[in-house]
Amino acid sequence: MAEPIKITIPSDPRYLCVNRRALQQILTLAELPEELTSQLALCVDEACSNVIKYGYEGETNHSIEISYAIDNDVFEVKIRDYGKQCDTSKFQPRCLDDVKPGGLGTFFIHKIMDSVSYCTKREKGTLLTMTKNLKTDMVNQKEEE
Amino acid sequence: MTVELNSEEKDGVVTISIEGEFDMAASPKIRNFLTPLFKENNRSVIVDLAKVPYIDSSGIATLVEGLQWSHSSDKKFRLTQLSPAVKDVFEIARLLTVFEVFDSHEEALQGA
Repeated sequence: MAEPIKITIPSDPRYLCVNRRALQQILTLAELPEELTSQLALCVDEACSNVIKYGYEGETNHSIEISYAIDNDVFEVKIRDYGKQCDTSKFQPRCLDDVKPGGLGTFFIHKIMDSVSYCTKREKGTLLTMTKNLKTDMVNQKEEE
Repeated sequence: MTVELNSEEKDGVVTISIEGEFDMAASPKIRNFLTPLFKENNRSVIVDLAKVPYIDSSGIATLVEGLQWSHSSDKKFRLTQLSPAVKDVFEIARLLTVFEVFDSHEEALQGA
């Protein structure tokens, strides 16, 4: 991809599907396997859900800016919000042995993505950057087959 | 995209069929549909996910509430016909063995 693809959605759960569709199309064009495409869409979706829940505290009239890039087989997504800055050190995946509702989103993100970093060094909001090495994952998937 | 819900009762078992994506937008509607069944507590529940192409953590959380209900009652809470994408999410969360998951509705009905 020569240039990052940018999409902005309202902080309303109804529009999460719009972003998912866009990302699925981008990854299909990049000829990624269906399973990996679904997993990356899940991670981005969970991150946007967290922005709505914690950054904007459920308010639906704000914006979430998302940018996608694929360079040298590395998928990078940046998610920018202008909501409340949370203590990102508390965003830890929970232990799966304790089966309870909630808290799984961060687990999915850390399990699937290679790197996850939150930057709050700005006046408002947070910039979340996540990366995934596509080549490594596709080789691993082929070996599993 | 809105989620569609249907319920059907057979031999004291309620089957809830969900059609659509089970995400943060759909979860409250599905939870509101399931919660009264848990409160009535007089029938086992099967959730048919054949027409659910996508589930996120809020969807899983909604289903975990059903699992917790079944653990505290003598009724069953079962899942059936998971699509490959949904099954993959359950697998990542290591929940395939935690829930009672069946390939077909007929199998899910047996002993429910």
